[in-house]
Amino acid sequence: MEKIEYPELNETLYYEQLPNGLKVYLLPKSNYNKTYATFTTKYGSIDNHFVTPEGEEIQVPDGIAHFLEHKMFEEPDGDVFSKFSNQGASANAFTSFERTAYLFSCTENVEKNLATLIDFVQNPYFTDPSVEKEKGIIAQEIRMYEDNPDWRSYFGLIAAMFKNHPVRIDIAGTVESIAKINKETLYTCYNTFYHPSNMLLFVVGPIDPEAIIQQIRQNQTGKTYTKKGEIRRIYPDEPMSVDQEVADVQLSVGISKCLFGFKENRIGLSGEKLIRQELETEIMLEAIFGQGTDLYQSLYDQGLIDDHFGYDYSLENGYGFSAIGGDTSDPDTLLQRIQKELPQIVERGIPDEVIERIRKKKLGGYLRSYNSPEWIANQFTRFQFNDMDLFSVIPQLEKLNSEDVNKRLKEHIDWDRFAVSIVRPLDGE
Amino acid sequence: MSDIRFETVNVGSLRVHVCSTDKFKTNMMVAMVQQELSPQTVTLHALLPSVLQRGTQSYPSTIQLKQQLDALYGATLFGDVFKRGERHIMQLGLEVADDRYLKGTSALMEDGMKLLGEILYQPVMEDGAFRKSYVEAEKKNLKQKIESLLDDKIRFAAHRCVEEMCKDEPYALFNHGRLQDLDAISPQSLYTYYLELVEHCPIDLYFVGNVTTENVVELVKAHFRTGEGKRREIPVGRTHKTPEKVHEVVDRLDVNQGKLNLGYRTQITLADPDYPALQMYNGILGGFPHSKLFINVREKASLAYYAASRLESHKGILTVQSGIEIDNYQQAVDIIRKQFAMMERGEFTESEMNQTRAMLINQLKERQDRAYNVIDAHYHGVLSGQVQTLEQMIEGIHQVTDDEIKKVAQKIQLDTVYFLRNRKGGNENGED
Repeated sequence: MEKIEYPELNETLYYEQLPNGLKVYLLPKSNYNKTYATFTTKYGSIDNHFVTPEGEEIQVPDGIAHFLEHKMFEEPDGDVFSKFSNQGASANAFTSFERTAYLFSCTENVEKNLATLIDFVQNPYFTDPSVEKEKGIIAQEIRMYEDNPDWRSYFGLIAAMFKNHPVRIDIAGTVESIAKINKETLYTCYNTFYHPSNMLLFVVGPIDPEAIIQQIRQNQTGKTYTKKGEIRRIYPDEPMSVDQEVADVQLSVGISKCLFGFKENRIGLSGEKLIRQELETEIMLEAIFGQGTDLYQSLYDQGLIDDHFGYDYSLENGYGFSAIGGDTSDPDTLLQRIQKELPQIVERGIPDEVIERIRKKKLGGYLRSYNSPEWIANQFTRFQFNDMDLFSVIPQLEKLNSEDVNKRLKEHIDWDRFAVSIVRPLDGE
Repeated sequence: MSDIRFETVNVGSLRVHVCSTDKFKTNMMVAMVQQELSPQTVTLHALLPSVLQRGTQSYPSTIQLKQQLDALYGATLFGDVFKRGERHIMQLGLEVADDRYLKGTSALMEDGMKLLGEILYQPVMEDGAFRKSYVEAEKKNLKQKIESLLDDKIRFAAHRCVEEMCKDEPYALFNHGRLQDLDAISPQSLYTYYLELVEHCPIDLYFVGNVTTENVVELVKAHFRTGEGKRREIPVGRTHKTPEKVHEVVDRLDVNQGKLNLGYRTQITLADPDYPALQMYNGILGGFPHSKLFINVREKASLAYYAASRLESHKGILTVQSGIEIDNYQQAVDIIRKQFAMMERGEFTESEMNQTRAMLINQLKERQDRAYNVIDAHYHGVLSGQVQTLEQMIEGIHQVTDDEIKKVAQKIQLDTVYFLRNRKGGNENGED
């Protein structure tokens, strides 16, 4: 087991890759009560077209990664939640565009809970009746999101930006698409993406790393996996331009939502390059839209935005985009002001002292995040799947220079790749 | 297991609670100010924290204040109002990075306290009141916040259920206040309200992090207006009510999913000796994925994605919430009510009790790993009049017997069934 020290953060990380390919990371935090563990596969909603281990190229129904996540909790001897509850652990799972993560947190019975986590994820058990029953539950999850205007405006924006890329598809799919899911397809997806070599286990908390790694080694030695090559995922060609400039819908809401952003054209990155671009873009967005900017304050004072206004930048290997906005009483005036003032801001560039201020802000922000075992485990996994190291973010942040941030500004703010998503109140409401 | 404890000292008229721990990489400070929940003050109280966050005498413009926060290594300033039973709490807090993890800083904690003190006690003034433009802008904002309740249907339904259930009680009020009060609020009336609040209402100051009590007390004396003597006591309000009949309420909006909320009176609050038994009751019924509601509404009947219950521990209310297909209303209500009936008949197993006990104790321990949760848990104790240590709370859960849970079950009565549904279909009662 490798030991990696981060003295400036007062953290020590342990790492081992097991013979079956599983990557294990352990972060002892002796003064915490809680142990938090995530077992994650690099398989998300965008992986809907791939080559199976048998060599067959298939396209699977939308929402299947998320459906599979739900069904993993069923075991021949009953429901896994009940087992975790017996052991005092709170368990959960989530599916994103890129990953499916299974997790628990507990303050007792760490070894038992860890065994439960690993074993249930490595033991798929699907039956026809239980697959059918799950469709009703997930249909209600989909309905819940249909009524959620923030979700609708976010997916409205992504769908406006991307013409073909599966990131435009709702993670849970639709009631129609999940109707097509059956247990055979679930097993195919499972067998393709849940091989240990495509997975990462992260445990953080008051743990003894030697004892934990020993337990994990033993657990994995007891299971047989045939060696597997790289998974072939197939993504469609995606044009540089946005698919649709404006998505405009009406819903039962009190206040309009307006999100806008730019589709990233610099993609295909990993490792340090990806971290750098992510940091540079976030700093640039903070310098334009952060609460400490003239633009923010002026929009706020005019009553066009409230303190939920914010920005978010998503960058993965295959796609990237910014999403900026929030609640607004007048989306049209807000957009007019953005389209008028943003070019001037780009023209002027971002001064060095602003970049310094934001660098400090982000530094404190990372320290705050390092308080959270959940954040560490989830972010670390995301970083690792992109060949990046979460704990190198602070040094990277210290290295960034103003020239690169300004270059990023000119590169990202490209009106040919601008899209808008608006959710308005229904007429008469 | 690390031990998180507060030391409480009175500094003038303020209660100061300090938790020294090196667990976190940041330090957190929060001021909690109590007021009675009442129609006269609810909107003033809701408006105040956002006006106070607009600027101080040293940083009169909001942009200066925000930039100062950034300069303090991204200190985060937060303010909000929430209900704790029939008390309305204003919270203002600040979180700053700890110097140990930064190069070239030495007094971030003190700088943060100084700033929080200024935000509380040295607002920007104009003509002997708050600055007019800030008050007007924040009124607009608050209006938007109140109107946006409609946007989150889960929250909307939860609020509407309680509002209908407590129609004649202050608890019906929305924590962000009422639209009809906004026009009449002026910079002067809000300032008068503010003075009354900071001079007479109970203030609790919390500090969690790499600090010592001596040091905190010294800094509180330097940067906060400590005052003297005793502050007003805010009454607990009404906690017991027997519903005469079950109220059924239907709202219609353009929604895809129906939201079903049920409100029950428990006659038990955090201050009562049978509160741990109520926690066990709620846990077996609907607090967790092993609970009756989750198993029967979601897993067995496939009716919902979420089906859970929760307690309002100061008001003595238990609510159930679920999102369902509109046509399944009656089936869902029947299944939910059946779970309550089973609880009343004592139909729960040893295993359900063990699971719930383990999960409750785990929750209590886990919340010690987050500075804000540590503060929130302690403040619940302050408000209920009995601060308990973690060990005492765990012991309380351990001692609950099945008979005690059954006794709790006898007390619980359904008050309101609320359903948010679509506009089309169904008769007047919302039933198809």
